[in-house]
Amino acid sequence: MELLQLAINGVTLGAAYALVALGFVLVLNATSAVNFAQGDLVVAGGFLAVALAGLVPLPGILLLPLVMLLMAAIGLAVSALAYWPLRDRPPVSVFISTIALGIIIQNGLNGIFGAEPRAAPALFGAGRLEFAGLMITHQALAILGVAAVLIGGVHRLLGRSQLGRMLRATAQDREIASALGIPVGGMVALTFALAAALAGAAGLLLSNQFFITPTDGTGFIVKAYIAVVIGGWGRIGGALAGAMLVALFEIVVAALFDYAVATGLLYAALLVILFFRPQGLFGEAVGRRA
Amino acid sequence: MNAAARLRGWLGRDINALLLAGALALAAWPFIQGDPYSLRLLTLAGIYALAAIGYQFVFGHAGALSLAQGAFFGLGAYVAGILSAKAGMGFELTFPTAILAAGLLATAVALPVLRLQSHYFALATLGIGQVTLLVAVNWESVTGGANGIAGVAKLNLFGLTVERGWPLMLLVWGLVVLGAVAARRFTGGLTGVRLTLMREQPMAAEAAGIDIRRLRFAAFLLSALFGGAAGALQVHTVRVVSPEVLEFPVMVSLLAIAVIGGRTSIAGAILGAVLLVHLPEWFRPLEKYYLLAYGAALLAMVVAAPWGLIGGLRMARGKWMPEQDPPPPGEIAPSAAPKPSQLEIGGLVRHFGGVRAVDGVDLSIAPGEAIGIVGANGSGKSTLVNLIAGTERPDAGHIRWGGKRIDGLPPVGIARAGMTRTFQSLKLVDGMSALDNAAVGDWRARDIAHTRGEAMHLLTRLGLGDVAWRSCGTLPPGLRRRVEIARALIAGPALLLLDEPAASLTGEERQALASILSAVSRSGVTLVVVEHDLEFLTGFVSRLVCLDAGRVIADGAPEQVRREPAVIAAWLGQAPDEEKENS
Repeated sequence: MELLQLAINGVTLGAAYALVALGFVLVLNATSAVNFAQGDLVVAGGFLAVALAGLVPLPGILLLPLVMLLMAAIGLAVSALAYWPLRDRPPVSVFISTIALGIIIQNGLNGIFGAEPRAAPALFGAGRLEFAGLMITHQALAILGVAAVLIGGVHRLLGRSQLGRMLRATAQDREIASALGIPVGGMVALTFALAAALAGAAGLLLSNQFFITPTDGTGFIVKAYIAVVIGGWGRIGGALAGAMLVALFEIVVAALFDYAVATGLLYAALLVILFFRPQGLFGEAVGRRA
Repeated sequence: MNAAARLRGWLGRDINALLLAGALALAAWPFIQGDPYSLRLLTLAGIYALAAIGYQFVFGHAGALSLAQGAFFGLGAYVAGILSAKAGMGFELTFPTAILAAGLLATAVALPVLRLQSHYFALATLGIGQVTLLVAVNWESVTGGANGIAGVAKLNLFGLTVERGWPLMLLVWGLVVLGAVAARRFTGGLTGVRLTLMREQPMAAEAAGIDIRRLRFAAFLLSALFGGAAGALQVHTVRVVSPEVLEFPVMVSLLAIAVIGGRTSIAGAILGAVLLVHLPEWFRPLEKYYLLAYGAALLAMVVAAPWGLIGGLRMARGKWMPEQDPPPPGEIAPSAAPKPSQLEIGGLVRHFGGVRAVDGVDLSIAPGEAIGIVGANGSGKSTLVNLIAGTERPDAGHIRWGGKRIDGLPPVGIARAGMTRTFQSLKLVDGMSALDNAAVGDWRARDIAHTRGEAMHLLTRLGLGDVAWRSCGTLPPGLRRRVEIARALIAGPALLLLDEPAASLTGEERQALASILSAVSRSGVTLVVVEHDLEFLTGFVSRLVCLDAGRVIADGAPEQVRREPAVIAAWLGQAPDEEKENS
C-alpha cells in the first residue's frame, strides 16, 4: 500500500518532468543542440506564476495559459539570442550559450524575487481525495490532467497538423526541409517557443507543491537530460518514459533513504546505464546523435 | 644561441611582446594599488588562472566539454581544508594531498566517462560535480555539512607562515608560472599537434596510430590535478570551506574564463581569470546582478568572438604585423624501412541491415604490389577499405597481415601494424601547417624537431617543400591531398590504403599525383587504391580488382580486367575505349 502511494506521488512528479523533457527533446531534434537553459525556464515559469498571482489573484488553471504565452515569447528570445547566431557552429557552442543564458535568467530572478522559496497558487485549490488508505491531493490530480492534456496536444500538433509536419520535417533533415520551401528558421524559433511554454507550465505545476528558488534550474535540466539520455537521445516517447523513470526512482529511493541519496544514486545509475548501454535504454534515434 | 633566443624557443613560437607587456603590467599593478584588498583579488585571480589553465587541457586541447572542473577544484579545497582545520597539517602536506585526491577522482570516473561523446560526456561530468556537492552537504561529520568548516590555517610551509598580501600573492603567481610552463611543455610539442588532430579530426587521429583514449585521459587527469591544486590554494586564502566551492557558479566561472580568454591559450586563461575576478568590482553598482554580467559576457563572447580575447589579439597581430615563417627545418631521411608483409583476405562479409556491402571477398595482396580496386558506386569498395583499416568490423571472414589475424583490431592497431590510409574526403587540420599535418602521422615520434625534419624530407619529395609552413586550409586540393599522403607515409608503413585519392583533382593534379604514387610504389610500399578513374590508375598499378555488389568479379592485369565482359556489364557499361574518352 505504501508502495502504491509512492507510485502515485512518483507519477505526479514524473508528469511534470515529462513536460520539461519533452521541450528539451523537441529542441534537441530541431537543432541537434542541447538547450541547457530549459531548467532555468522551468524556474522562470514558476516565478512568472508567482508574480502574476500577486497581480491578479486567480487560481493556477487560469494563470496557466497566460504563463505559457509569456514563456513562449521568452522562448523566441532564447532562440534569437542563444541559438540563431550560432546555428552554423558546432552544437557545443549552443550548449555554452544556453548555459550563459541560464545564468542570466537565474540571477535576474534572484535579483527580482530574492533567494527565498516561493509557491505559485494551486491549479484548483487545496483539498485531497482519500480512498482505500491512499491519498491524492487535488493538485496532484490536476497536475496529471494538465500534463496529459499538454502532452496530448503536442502529440496531436506534431502528428496531425500541417504545422506539425513542417516541424517534424525540420527536425529530421533541415536542408531537405529548407529545399521543400519550409521556413526552417521560423520552425526552429517556434520549437524554442513551444519548449519554453512547456517548461513554464512545468514550473507552474511544480512550484505549488515543491516551492521554487532561483537556483533550482540546474536540478531540473539535469533530470530532463538524464530522462532523454536513458530514453534514447532524440526519442520523444523515450524522453517521456525516461522522465517517469527518473521521478519514480527519485520518490522511491528518497522514501527509503533520503533525498540526497536518491539524487546521488540517480547519477550513479546514469553512469552505469551509459557504461552498458551508451545508446540509452530504448535505443538512440538513428542519425540524430549530436 | 643566446639566452633570450633560447628562452623564446623554449617558451614556444607564439609567445609575444604583448604577453610580456601584460605580465609586466600585472606585476606593476599592486605597486599602484598596494592595498590588501587589491592583493587579495590578484591572489584569487591567480588561483582561478591555475584552475583555468588546467581546464584548457580537457576543454580546449582535447575539445571535450567537461563540467567536472568545478568538482576537482572544490574537492581540492575540501581535502586541504579538512586536513588543515582538523588534522593541523601544513601546506606541504595539504597541497599534494589535495592534488592527489583530485587525480584519484578523475582516474576513478575516467573509465565510464571518457568514452562518452560530446553531450553525454558533458552530462556525465556534470553529474560528477553534483554528486560531489551532495556528499559535501550531507557528510556532516567530515565536511561540516551546509555550513562547511571554518578555521582553516593560513598557508604555512614546514612551519613557516606565508602571510596574506604580498607573500601569498607572489607564491600563488609563482605557482601559476610553474603551471603555465608545465602546460606549455605538455601542449607545445608533439602532444599538442596530436591533441589538435584528435580534436579536429578524430578519425584521422586514430588512423594515424594515435591512442585517443590515452591522450584524452592524460588531458582529463592533468585538468583535475591543476583543479585540485587551485582548490587547495583557494582554501588557504579564504580560510573557510563550504559547499559553495562545489556549486555550479564556480564551474561556470572557469568555463567563462576559458571562453573569454581563449580556449587553448595560457595567456588567455590568465587574462580571463584577472578579468572575471575583477568584473564584480567594476560592476559594483550592479550589486547582486553582477553574476548576470558574467552570463552576458559569456554569451556575447560565444556569439561574437568564439576565439577569445587572445585569439582576437593574435588575429589582429597577424593582420597588422604579419610574422615571417621560420626557415624550413633541415631534412632528415627517415630511418624506418617498411617491413613487407602479405595481406590475406578470406570470405570477408559486412552487411548494413539488409544490404550486404561486402559479400564474401577473397583477396591476396603480395608485398610491394600496387593494386587498384574499382567498381560502380555502392559496389563495396569503400567498405572494403574501411574493413581493412579497422574502421568497420567484419561480420564474417578474416584478414591476415603477415600471417597474423588483424580483423577486429581498432584503427590504431592497424596503423601501428604498418598499414596507414588516406580518406575520400580530406581529413586535415586546416589551421595547422602542412609540416605539422604531416609530422603528426608519426605515432612513434618522441621529438618534434626530429619529426619535423623527417616530415620536411617527405614534403620535399612530394613537391611541397615550398609550402611547409603554410596553413593547410590555404592550399589547393591537389596539394592538400599530398599532405594527407605525407601524413600516411611518415610512420613508414608497409601498406598504404588510398580511398579515391584523385577525387576533386584537376587533370594536371591527377598526373602529378599518379607519378608521386608511382614513386611511392617503387620505394617498396604496397599500395591499395580505390578509384573510379582508370586512366589515373593505369599510371602506376600492376593489378586491378573489380567489385560488384560486394563480390570480386574480376582480378588480374589492368588491360585484361578492362576487357572482361562482366566488368563491362557491371561497371563500365560501355566499351573501354569510349570510357577513356569520357574520363
